Amino acid sequence: MDDFLYRATLGAAMLGAAAGPIGCFVLWRRMAYLGESVAHMGLLGAAIGLLMGVSPLIGVSALAIISALLMARADNGLIPAGSFVGIVGHAGLALGFILLATMETVRTDLLGYLFGDVLALSNMDLVSIALAGTAIVLGTVFFWRGWLMMTVNADIARAEGRTNRFAEVAFLVLVAVLVAVGLRVVGALLIVALIIVPPAAARPLARTPEAMAIIAALIGAASAPLGVAASYWKDIPTGPSIVLAAIAIFLATTLFARISDAARARA
Amino acid sequence: MLISSTGLSLRSGNTPILDHVNFQVAAKEIVVLIGPNGSGKTTLLKALLGLVPAKGEIARKPGLRVGYVPQNFARDRSLPITVGRFARLFADRAAVDAALERVGIAALADHQLSTLSGGELARVMLARAIAAKPELLILDEPLAGVDVAGEAALYHLIAQIRDEIGCGTVLVSHDLHVVMAQADRVVCLNGHVCCEGKAEQVVSDPAFAQLFGPRVAGELALYAHRHDHSHEGHTHG
Repeated sequence: MDDFLYRATLGAAMLGAAAGPIGCFVLWRRMAYLGESVAHMGLLGAAIGLLMGVSPLIGVSALAIISALLMARADNGLIPAGSFVGIVGHAGLALGFILLATMETVRTDLLGYLFGDVLALSNMDLVSIALAGTAIVLGTVFFWRGWLMMTVNADIARAEGRTNRFAEVAFLVLVAVLVAVGLRVVGALLIVALIIVPPAAARPLARTPEAMAIIAALIGAASAPLGVAASYWKDIPTGPSIVLAAIAIFLATTLFARISDAARARA
Repeated sequence: MLISSTGLSLRSGNTPILDHVNFQVAAKEIVVLIGPNGSGKTTLLKALLGLVPAKGEIARKPGLRVGYVPQNFARDRSLPITVGRFARLFADRAAVDAALERVGIAALADHQLSTLSGGELARVMLARAIAAKPELLILDEPLAGVDVAGEAALYHLIAQIRDEIGCGTVLVSHDLHVVMAQADRVVCLNGHVCCEGKAEQVVSDPAFAQLFGPRVAGELALYAHRHDHSHEGHTHG
């Protein structure tokens, strides 16, 4: 095996482990659409970063954070908040795509932004994934109780003064950071899968929120070697293989839960 | 005074929901908020709690500890959490165990929140709200889904809790009979405060008869009469 396979496995595993616990909140709060739109805006961020001659990761992170904070303020009005956020996200995707396509030098990288380029991860990329992942996990542990209170019922948490604005801003910023570093690994179109599939796979196995977060982290991390291995043996694209590995685990746990429920009902 | 509003107004689009509402709750007082559907009861509570923006002044006792039971509590099967763990997010284990015991649901502590019946959930929400010993308890139709026998017991419990921990309580309820029995003060709302005072006074107020119809008003006035042993200076509706 070559070095780039180790780097791909390590990078995707770190990303998956960090995404699992915070992804549980994205799942519980039904915010997948927000993550998706943030990822779409990330593409525009990458284009702007390249245009301005700074690192694309800086452009992606900046635009992801700004758009997450703004889009989370959307209210249900004449159109539902989710649809509004979708419109903004798609505007970013279309605009980003056009900008990237007009820049001759990066034309070949378009697919990389959409589906990731996990085999091209450099040691620097691994360092940035490690730093971002550590921040995300530490933030999730630190804000756990406050985020959970806001998740079970935001009105109660606010009415009883159990929350502060900072905790919610931190949540959005950390999700945006996760999306930004994930763009390099599985791309704008698949990053949300890496955020919500491991928690969904963990759900049937968990009876407490903490157990679900830990199992989701393990499944997220395990998807990386499984996906890289499948990609290596079958010579298929690596990012999508990692996502499919997570989905295979999701199918397995869901099926397992169905079967054990049915067995219990019969007993 | 625990919390008060002065000239509280709120519109939804062009529709006025609340119009210059003056409302206050004192320590150890049970205030019952009544009014027809769409009269702004829930909105008034939410505005007092700072959950919806409104015009006017809201004054709170500094550091006020609030316990809130919202009208709707959406449960989500994607979040695995037991009743006990849910309540312990808001209070320590001993307080939670005691509160679950008080409300008669100690046996539910290890049940998943998402599998409860409506009546069980209402009890859990009440237990959770009282566990942290609030100074102000805000209950928005807290007993929806509870059976008749349980309802009377729980209303009695709410009054007992007030005596024990000395919290002020605001209660929205549609069950006017129980309301009449437990309220220190009744506030009748229909966008604005129509009438307020002791239960006997409110039910004999012409504004109350206009709002709830003469039949309900007559019935409740009779009820208030039977439960009023002073027999001094009240008028018959």
